[in-house]
Amino acid sequence: MRRRTFLTAGSTALAGLAGCIGAGGSDGTETTTSTTSTANTTAQAELSGTLNVATYSSFVDAPSSSPGKWVKRQFEKEYPKATLQWQTPDNEVTHFLQRKAQGLDVTTDVYVGLNVDHLITIDEKLGDRKLFVPMADSLSNYGHVKDDLTFDPDGRAIPYDTGYISLVYDGTTVDDPGTFDALAGEYADDLIVENAQQAATGRAFLLWTVHEYGPDGYLDYWQRMTDNGVKVLGSWDAAYTAYSNGERPIVVSYSTDRVYAHREEGVNMDKHRIGFPNGQGYANPEGMAKFADAKNPKLADAFLDFMLSKKVQSKIPTLNVQFPATDWAEPGEEFRKYAKEPDQPVTYSYDDLKGNVEEWVEQWARQVAR
Amino acid sequence: MQPGRWLERRALALLAVATSAVLAVLFYYPVAIVFADAGGVASFVDVFADEFLVREILGFTAYQAALSTLASVALGLPGAYVLSRYEFPGRRTVRSLTILPFVMPSILVVIGFVAFFGEQGLLNDLLGLAGLEVGSLLYNLPAIIVAHAFYNAPLVARVTNAAWESVDAREVETARSLGAGRFRAFVDVLAPQLLPAVLTGALLTFIFTFMSFPIVLELGGFEYATVEVWIYGLVRDLDYAEAATLAVLETGLSLALTYAYLRYEARQASASRAARPPARKRFLPDDVTTGAALERVGVGAYGLVVAVVFGGPIVSTVVESVTGPSGFTLRYYAFLVERQATGAAFQTKPGVAVWNSLAFGVGTLLVALPMGVVVAALADRARSRWGRAVEALAMAPFAVSGLMVGLGMLRGLVFGVPLPVVGRVRVGGALAIVAAHAVAAYPFVVRSVGPMLGTVDRRTVESARALGATRFRALLDVELPLVAAGVVAGAAFAFAISIGEFDSTVILATGSTSYTMPVAVERYLGNRTLGPATAMGTVLLVVTAVSFVVVDRLGGRWEYG
Repeated sequence: MRRRTFLTAGSTALAGLAGCIGAGGSDGTETTTSTTSTANTTAQAELSGTLNVATYSSFVDAPSSSPGKWVKRQFEKEYPKATLQWQTPDNEVTHFLQRKAQGLDVTTDVYVGLNVDHLITIDEKLGDRKLFVPMADSLSNYGHVKDDLTFDPDGRAIPYDTGYISLVYDGTTVDDPGTFDALAGEYADDLIVENAQQAATGRAFLLWTVHEYGPDGYLDYWQRMTDNGVKVLGSWDAAYTAYSNGERPIVVSYSTDRVYAHREEGVNMDKHRIGFPNGQGYANPEGMAKFADAKNPKLADAFLDFMLSKKVQSKIPTLNVQFPATDWAEPGEEFRKYAKEPDQPVTYSYDDLKGNVEEWVEQWARQVAR
Repeated sequence: MQPGRWLERRALALLAVATSAVLAVLFYYPVAIVFADAGGVASFVDVFADEFLVREILGFTAYQAALSTLASVALGLPGAYVLSRYEFPGRRTVRSLTILPFVMPSILVVIGFVAFFGEQGLLNDLLGLAGLEVGSLLYNLPAIIVAHAFYNAPLVARVTNAAWESVDAREVETARSLGAGRFRAFVDVLAPQLLPAVLTGALLTFIFTFMSFPIVLELGGFEYATVEVWIYGLVRDLDYAEAATLAVLETGLSLALTYAYLRYEARQASASRAARPPARKRFLPDDVTTGAALERVGVGAYGLVVAVVFGGPIVSTVVESVTGPSGFTLRYYAFLVERQATGAAFQTKPGVAVWNSLAFGVGTLLVALPMGVVVAALADRARSRWGRAVEALAMAPFAVSGLMVGLGMLRGLVFGVPLPVVGRVRVGGALAIVAAHAVAAYPFVVRSVGPMLGTVDRRTVESARALGATRFRALLDVELPLVAAGVVAGAAFAFAISIGEFDSTVILATGSTSYTMPVAVERYLGNRTLGPATAMGTVLLVVTAVSFVVVDRLGGRWEYG
């Protein structure tokens, strides 16, 4: 799956990025920040070496506000003897799954950007061979993670942020569909959805409809959708391109859309309204985990705790444009104003999906591709 | 015997061995790894028993590929005619630029098509001026077919043009002097010389569009799912067994078609002639007849179609790169400059991408050209049924699903090949990328040179050999100059394939700074605006356009001696 379809960064935050560079450049000293307790500093001074962290490419490389650069600088400031090295293998976490499946070592320490789908695939394909290790209990900041965002019953994947799948619609040409029922009815031929086999948004939207209509009813719902003219395109990029060029006024995307939109000068915000059918939004939390073969396990632990720290969690909404996963984050004025949270977040747990998701997606694909 | 002479005698054999080695390591081994996952006969029976897969997926895939091939030939042939038969200022530059669509990453084509053919696209704006309104032309089967023609009609045009540049006009003159009419002379004399090239273009187009993936979903919709889309879904769920089964079927079909075509081609090749193309016409004829005037009107109408189908999307992409929400802007280019200047080591820099693309392109050209010429020359000599089979197999690199080749490269090359004594040998980085590009590109050289080589008069080669020339020397000094237009077209294709290649490049470039321009376009997409990606795309278009002109000029210097 192309993860850029999952996470995307704002467009005109060049100025913001430049700001970060400036701040970093003027602060070259090794003093720890005031938010860190003195008890930590001894450990921080001792932990050393290179920490290899793999992630999807837009986490470090998106054209505007990707968190990679900032996270590296902050982490190295707190752990002066450590070096953080980003890796962005093209196949993302599947790269490591395949290595493990072939009996090869994984020399990377941490992966950032896991979702529940990945975990299910990993567990089904690898069985007893452990790719990641459970570690939730040993993290000192784990207590701050919101309960309803944890998605790994084994405590391997630690949530660090979440997005909500929602509708984005052009308020100048359509009204908010309001309900799932209306969406498959009069609004179906205004709607663009992504392929559930290919794009994370498309898959989440499909699971959302299964959640709403049940495994026995979702295919009927989709039959109504297709009969009434819904358009299913490949990637999130293609779908959003079609939406922004006025092909159709409703697209399945993220509820943080307005954060990006307002950053672009001259945008008509009415064209970027958020719709939560039935008051719901489908939560898609993102997690990070430590590899079982990690070469630098102590530093990896420190990194995971660092990612959950108040400082990083408060910055994630600006740089990754996702909701923080902890209760102590202060997302900032911009995010509070433009990011929308659904009244009723819904999602499927690991146990609900395991053994089902592949079948649900395949049946859906066979029906829609007909 | 002098060592130079020894080397020359064995040059062809040595090149053949080197070619086989590169193919074995970079293509057959990785593909064998993934194809080994396909189950036994039972799994193939399962596929054929699945009505949905046979009818909706395989059947539809073949159907849209056939329509796309017809459209590409219909759009490409007039182009070949104009480029071959007319003389006009900038003709050679236009010919160089024909392959430009070939290198465009699919997302750029999607952006260009939406911005041109879409609801609020340029075409609707222009038609609006004339009081017409057609609305969106996208998200249907015709949109997919036009997009496929956008990619492949240039291929048909270029291959046919190369054949046209090397026809022997004296044969036409002979036919005319014996009383044949213009039409008769064309059908009996010229058409048989052009047909192999046209069919080659059609074959390549069919195979390409049979394996089309992003375009069908992004300009059509999921109801137009192809085999490759289905394979993607299976690979994503790590269901390698079924994915490999489908991919083997896909490859088998493409190779069978290639083999059937090659047998046909072998039966056709017979003419003995020299490259002596007829004189070109001028746009403004010296004596105005009704026929000449009608023909010019036709050419003008064709020019308009070309402007819409090719010019429209490309220009729209470029326009997109300088347009923000509030109008004209250069900030997306400013982003490229800033990223180049201040980007971190782990970020994608435009300059590095441009440099890599050019270096890999030149490297590919230097490797793929000899590979392709050697395979074409050897296949040309082996006229048996087995010779055709070997030639068909040599064409395999474009008959295997790109997704599967990528997967094989990851598992076989990036993870390493386990060898006795030395342990795991990993292949990656720049050298591997060039080799992988060469593997993907050389079939185009074979197909550009092969059909023309088949028509070279054997007696010229035999005379050279009788006078003491080695087989290699005869190839170099006698045959290749006779098929120069094909060699130059092959070189241009090799360069284009390298610039446009994506699947293998991203995998082999993992963990290094060997990324190319299409990879950079893809990475700059992580964004709500298309600005940075289209700006990088425009850089790609400009750099490639200039390179094509240079490649063609250098080739032309040799071609026209």
